[in-house]
Amino acid sequence: MEPRIATCLALGIALVAACHEKPDVTVTETRSVSTRDGSVKLFASSDERFGNERRSPLQAETPPGWTELPATEFRLLNYRFGPDGSGEVWVSSASGTLADNVNRWLHQFGAAPLDETGLAALRRVPILGSSGVWVQAEGTYVSGMGAESKAGYGLAGVITEVQGQILTVKMVAPAAQVRTAIPTLEAFVKSLRPAEATD
Amino acid sequence: MELPPPLPDTPTPRPSCAGRLLAFLSGLGLATTLLVLLGLLTWLATLEQIDSGLHHTLRKYFDWHAFYLIPEIGGRTVPVPLPGGYWVCALLALNLTLGGLLRWRRDWQRAGVLIAHLGIIYLLVAGAVAHHFSQRGHMLIAEGGTSNTAEDYFEHVVEVTEVKDGKPATIQVIGGRYLTDLEGARTRTVRLSAMPFDLKLDSYIPNAEVRSIAEPPAPPSAAQEIDGYYLLAKPPDPTAEASTPGCIARVLNRDGKTSAPFLLSAKADQPFSVRCDDRVFTIVLRKRLWLMPFTVRLDKFTAEFHPGTMKPSKFVSDITRIENGREAKAIIQMNEPMRYENLTFYQASYQQMGQGPSARMATVLEVVRNPADKWPQYSLYVVAIGLLVHFITKLVGFIKDQSRPSDHV
Repeated sequence: MEPRIATCLALGIALVAACHEKPDVTVTETRSVSTRDGSVKLFASSDERFGNERRSPLQAETPPGWTELPATEFRLLNYRFGPDGSGEVWVSSASGTLADNVNRWLHQFGAAPLDETGLAALRRVPILGSSGVWVQAEGTYVSGMGAESKAGYGLAGVITEVQGQILTVKMVAPAAQVRTAIPTLEAFVKSLRPAEATD
Repeated sequence: MELPPPLPDTPTPRPSCAGRLLAFLSGLGLATTLLVLLGLLTWLATLEQIDSGLHHTLRKYFDWHAFYLIPEIGGRTVPVPLPGGYWVCALLALNLTLGGLLRWRRDWQRAGVLIAHLGIIYLLVAGAVAHHFSQRGHMLIAEGGTSNTAEDYFEHVVEVTEVKDGKPATIQVIGGRYLTDLEGARTRTVRLSAMPFDLKLDSYIPNAEVRSIAEPPAPPSAAQEIDGYYLLAKPPDPTAEASTPGCIARVLNRDGKTSAPFLLSAKADQPFSVRCDDRVFTIVLRKRLWLMPFTVRLDKFTAEFHPGTMKPSKFVSDITRIENGREAKAIIQMNEPMRYENLTFYQASYQQMGQGPSARMATVLEVVRNPADKWPQYSLYVVAIGLLVHFITKLVGFIKDQSRPSDHV
């Protein structure tokens, strides 16, 4: 092959390679703050971000050290806690029966399901003027929503039935954090109440 | 009389391959073909933009990425591939340059033609510079209000902002060129030099709507649901500047952990927030903002319309330019832009902000930063000078010929 043709070919290949966008890039561009940069709502929920804001029908005292996050479509109340913020607590409504939900939670930690006797033996705690079952588990947490499994995790929470609707209070965090936070969680459950009307 | 024997044929040297190529590239035939093609492309683009929108059509016909195109007129495909306008212009510039260099006879009587050639090349170069380096945006200012920021018409960027004491502190910008090719399964890791984490971006949709999964109809099977929402692709908006892209992002912490995916949408009311090492950051997908070197205050806006119509007869913005504490008054109106520091402010439109007695008029100024802003004007001067020189040269030659004594008495 003639050297000129080889040079042209090499240049062509280099040009094509240069045009191909890279899968890993470093950006250094910054800009100054402008008159368009107004205040924004931090940690807005997806509902707030996408114009579907909703108000939680429940309220509670936020324990010290917990950060309240906005409610979402699936979380009536939503919190984070722990030194690295990896602990989560949320209140949500669920479908199915109380037993279905207890066993779903246990399944997420690889624990065996409970029969009626096992369910009856669970501790009951006061919640929203009624009582709910206290559920606890430890192990590898698999949420079942496509997320990665988390080893060494713990669960503590309450499942109750309010006016024919299952309501859950669930804490998921590294197991040691859950053990430490159980008294706080119990106090939080006690403080749960219907949201006050604002009109 | 006996004629001398014919001379043996002397073989004329066959032009080399490069010589023939140069002859073709510098030829008048190519120039004519290219000019006809440019006229055809302009005509077809004018027809196509009626249905497809101006921005889309300009990109299709004249963007440098468009090596060829297939016209669609009135919704019907014209099955004739045509070369992209950018490359036709580039080839024309090359043709004119080579023509000037190779074919110009060293005859100073033709200097005017050469100058006119240079003027056209200058015009084509101005177009290329504007294509690659100009920036267009708009600035919205209410009466009595100020602004130092223009918003790009088309480019969407991802901005990562560190928030300190509730106010933006450091803002890092991921340009649109790192987003627009991420359609389908392509992903990109974007390392952020000014932030303590990086971003992984994928599933870019140029025009998307954020839909709740609770909202009928059911999401398409390929839709990725995140926190009860998904991105629904919409057809490209003909006006392009109304498109609202969306994509999926993940935070990549420097310790190797990856966050759950979250949606970014140009339609989002609020940013996505991230906490990292007790610092708070927001992430948004928005149109690119560019800061002016000065602030503009709108003192008064006047709009006049032709009687009984909404067709504008006159928009006038009385503004004050504020720079380093100094104020300078200026008037911007239709066809009378304000040019200052390589920026041109055109009167583009207006808006009414609010309703009732508290309603205020707001002006919309188109802001253009084009390093070749005045080049077309200068190039036309050069062409005019060239043609004038050529005319004078020809005239002088003609007069000389007329004044020369005739051979036939």
